[in-house]
Amino acid sequence: MDLKNTSHKFGVIGAGSFGIAIANLLAENGKVLLYTRNEEQRDSINQKHLSRDLKIHENVEATTELKSIAEECFLIFPIIPSDNFVELLDALAPYLNASHILIHGTKGLYTPKKLGKDIQLKKQEVFTMSELIKLKTGVVRVGCLAGPNLASELSELQPAATVIASSFNEVIEIGQQALRSTRFQVYGSNELLGVELAGVLKNYVAIASGMLTGLGYGENARALLITRGMAELIHIAKALGASERAFLGLAGIGDLIATCHSNKSRNFRVGLQLAQGKNLDQIIEDLGEVAEGVKTLIIIRSLQNYGYKAPLAEILYKIVFENFPIHKGIGLLMRFSAEKDAEYIV
Amino acid sequence: MQESQKIDRRLDPVIPDITEWPIYKLSQDKESFLKEVVKATTDKLLNKFKDANSLHGELKSVLYQEKNRLTKEPWKSDKPEERIFWSEIKRKILIVDSIEEEDKKFKEDKKILKEILHFYCLEIVANFEPKKYRVAQKVLPFLFGRLMNVSAGNKKNFFFPASKNIYEKMNITGPIDHIRNLSKKGTVIVVPTHFSNIDSPTIGLIIDIIGLPAMTYGAGINLFTIGILSRWLNDLGAYKLDRRRKNTPYLELLKNYSTIAITRGAHSLFFPGGTRSRSGQIEKKLKLGLLGTALEAQRQNLLNFNEETAKKIFVVPVVLNYHFVMEAASLINQHLAIEGKEQFIAEKDDYSTSYKLLKLILKVITANPGMSISFASPMDVFGNEVDFEGQSINKIGQKVQIKNYFMLGDTMTEDLQRDSVYTSILGERIVEKFLAYNTVLSSHIVSFVAFELIGREFKNLDIYQLLRIPTDEIEIDIEEFKMEVNNIREKIIDLYAEGKLKIHERLKGDTDEIIKHGIKNLGVYHAQMPLEVNNNGNISTQDLKVLYFYHNRLLGYGLEKHFA
Repeated sequence: MDLKNTSHKFGVIGAGSFGIAIANLLAENGKVLLYTRNEEQRDSINQKHLSRDLKIHENVEATTELKSIAEECFLIFPIIPSDNFVELLDALAPYLNASHILIHGTKGLYTPKKLGKDIQLKKQEVFTMSELIKLKTGVVRVGCLAGPNLASELSELQPAATVIASSFNEVIEIGQQALRSTRFQVYGSNELLGVELAGVLKNYVAIASGMLTGLGYGENARALLITRGMAELIHIAKALGASERAFLGLAGIGDLIATCHSNKSRNFRVGLQLAQGKNLDQIIEDLGEVAEGVKTLIIIRSLQNYGYKAPLAEILYKIVFENFPIHKGIGLLMRFSAEKDAEYIV
Repeated sequence: MQESQKIDRRLDPVIPDITEWPIYKLSQDKESFLKEVVKATTDKLLNKFKDANSLHGELKSVLYQEKNRLTKEPWKSDKPEERIFWSEIKRKILIVDSIEEEDKKFKEDKKILKEILHFYCLEIVANFEPKKYRVAQKVLPFLFGRLMNVSAGNKKNFFFPASKNIYEKMNITGPIDHIRNLSKKGTVIVVPTHFSNIDSPTIGLIIDIIGLPAMTYGAGINLFTIGILSRWLNDLGAYKLDRRRKNTPYLELLKNYSTIAITRGAHSLFFPGGTRSRSGQIEKKLKLGLLGTALEAQRQNLLNFNEETAKKIFVVPVVLNYHFVMEAASLINQHLAIEGKEQFIAEKDDYSTSYKLLKLILKVITANPGMSISFASPMDVFGNEVDFEGQSINKIGQKVQIKNYFMLGDTMTEDLQRDSVYTSILGERIVEKFLAYNTVLSSHIVSFVAFELIGREFKNLDIYQLLRIPTDEIEIDIEEFKMEVNNIREKIIDLYAEGKLKIHERLKGDTDEIIKHGIKNLGVYHAQMPLEVNNNGNISTQDLKVLYFYHNRLLGYGLEKHFA
C-alpha cells in the first residue's frame, strides 16, 4: 500500500514532547490528527502551530475527541505515559476494531496490582503495552516504536533512527512509510516483546548512569555500567520469553547509550539528583511526572523468582526506596562475582 | 454461549437429503472443482517460480524427489503406473532442456507443471457415495454398540445391543445445537485432538450421530492399501495425503485443495496436530499449514461476497479421550527416539497398515470401557467466539466484522505473512480449548500420580534413565498413593471450577473407587499392565514407558509442581 495516494490521516495520541516529535515527523509524510486532553494546547496548535515554545508542523491538527482519532485514522500512534495507558485504552476501545493498526511509543510496563513495598508479581500479572492493547481492545495488529529518540533532539531536526517491531510485516512497513524521512531512519523487527522490553528495562540503567554523573565519576564507570547493565537486561528478557537479538540493536544498546549519556533523560535526572542527596518524592515533584525507570525497578524486583539474577536492579531498589548509601551499593556491585564477559551470546 | 448438552440419542440430520450435502455436491462437481484447484495452484506456483529457469529447476527437483520416493521408500500403496508417469515426465523435461528460447521453454515447463498437478489431483481427490455412506451409518454404530456391550459382559444382547448404551459410553458433550445451527449458516471445520488411529472412524461416527453432514478430510495414503477399507474411505469423502511427498507443488496443491473445498462449503475435518501425539500430551504446537487454509478460504469468501452474504467459517475444537490408547507403546517409543536421539531406538508402529488398523479398531471397541468426546464452543478463524447466529464476539464483548482483519486503510488486501500470524493466533486458541475441554478420566489421574511419585522417588535420574529402571524395583505405597490421588483430584476439581478443564462425573466420587476404576481401565488391553495392585497391596507397574505416556495427558496444567 502506498500511503502517499490516500487521504488518510495519521493519528497520534498524547501531545507530550515525544508525541509532538512523532506528530511532526509524520506530518512530513501526510496529514496528522493529534489528540490532547488540553483544550488550550489544542487551540494553540490549531491556531498558532505552537505548543508552548515547540513549533508544530502545519499538517498537524489537534483534537480533544478520541472518537475522531479512531474514525479518521486507521494507523494510530499512542504515545503516553504507561500510567495512563489503561485508562486511555478503556476510553478508546469502543471506537476501535480489527481494521486499526496501533504502534505505541510507550516505554513502560503495566500491572493491575497496586505497586508497593515487597509486592510479589507473577509473569501473567505484568503486561507490555502491546499486550495491553491486545487485551483491552479489538485491535490485533499492534507494534511498538523504540530506539534512541530523545524528544528534544528530534524537535531540533537532528538525524536519528528508530525501530518498529511487530509480528506483522505490514505493520512495520506501514510504520516505516509513515515515519521515514531524510533525517529519520526506521528499522524493522519481528521481535515485538524483545524490543518492548529493551525500551522498558533500559530505564533503570539510566537512573544508575545519572548517579554516576552525580558522584562525579567518568566514562570508565559508565561503560562498565552500560555493558554489564545490558547483560543484566538480557538475562531478564530471556527469562520473560524474549531473545537477546533486540538488545543488540537500536532499541537495546542504541537506546541504552543515548539515555545513559543524556541529562535530557528523565530517568538519568532522577539518578543524578538522588546522588546529589535529594529524596525521591522531592525529585518526582520537581520533574512533574514519574520517571518510568522507578516503576520498572519495582516490577523487575518483584518478579525476581523468575530465574534471573538482577544485582543492579536489586541494589538500585535499595538505594532509591530504602535510603541505602550509594557508595556502599557500588561497593557491593563491584564485589558481585564477575562472570564470563558477554556470556549471553551462546 | 450455549449450554453444554449431553447426547443420549442419534440426532436428526441437519440436512435430511444426502444429495443436498455440500460434500456430495463437491463430489458431483468434481471436474470443475479440480480445474479450479489446478488453476489456483498453478497461479500461486508461477508467482513463486517466475521464469523458465526457476520453474525448470523446480520441475527437476520434483522429478528427483519422486524417483527417490519410489525407489528408496516404496509403499504398497504406490501404483505401478506411477513409474510410467514419472518416466514420461523425465522424457519431457529432457526435451525442454534442449530448448534455447526462454519463452518457449517457460511455456513447455508450464505444460509439464500442469500435467504433474493434474496427476496429483487424480490421486488425491475424494469421492462421496451416498449409498456407501448409508451402509457405514448403519454398520459403524452397530459395531461400536455390539462390541461395547460385549465388553460390558452383556452377552445376551450380542446381536441386539440396547442402542442407548453406545451414547452413554461415548459420552458426547458440548454445545451441539449451536454447532448444528452454524453448519447451516456457514462452513464448519472440526479440529480434534489426535492420539490414536481410531480417532478418524470415531469422529466420523460422532459427526453422524450429532446429525452433521459428512466432512471431507485428508487421510494418509498408507491407509488406502487394503481393498475394502481403501474404497470405503475414498467413497466416504476422504482425500489422500502422501506424507513422503514434500515437494512444493504437491504441498501447494494440497493447501489449495482444502481451501477451495472450504470455499465451496464443504465442512472439513483437520487433525491440527498433524500426526498422533506421540508423547501422550495434548498437542501444544499445531501444524499451521492446513489450518491456514481455513483462513485463506475465509478471506476468499469475503473477497467474492460482502460481509453479509459471504459464507463464514467456524472452527470447532474437539477433545477425544479414551482410557487407553492401543498404540501407546509404539507412540511413546517413537517420541522418546525423537526427543532422546540415540538413547532410544524407535520401534516400528504396529498399526500402520489398514488391515492392522481394522484389527486395532475392533480390539479397541471390544475392550473399550467408554470414552469421552467433548466439543468446544465454536470460534471464527481469528479465534473469536461466535454466538448462536454465527456473529463473532471479541474478547471484550464487541460484535466483530471479520472483514476488518483483512483491511488496510480502505481496501481489503492479501498478505500471506499477515495470514500466517492470524493462523498462529488461531492455533493458540485451539490449544487453549484443547486444554479447557480435556476431560480428565480416572485413568489419567492414577497414571499421572503414579508416574510423578516414581519420578520423585528417583529424583536424580533424568527421564531416560528413569524409564530404564527395572520395573520390579518400583513400588508405591498404597496409602501414599491414595493421599496424593486425593490431593491431585482436589486440584483438578479447583481447575474445573475455574473452567480450565472438564472432569468425568466419577472424579467427584470416592477416591478408592477412582483408583480402582482408573487402574482397571488403564490396563484393559495392554499386555503389560501400566499399573496394578501387587501382592503387598501396593501399586506397581510392568511398563513404565506406557505409564509415562498416559501420565503426559495431564501435563499443561502445572499439576506436576505439586510433586517438585
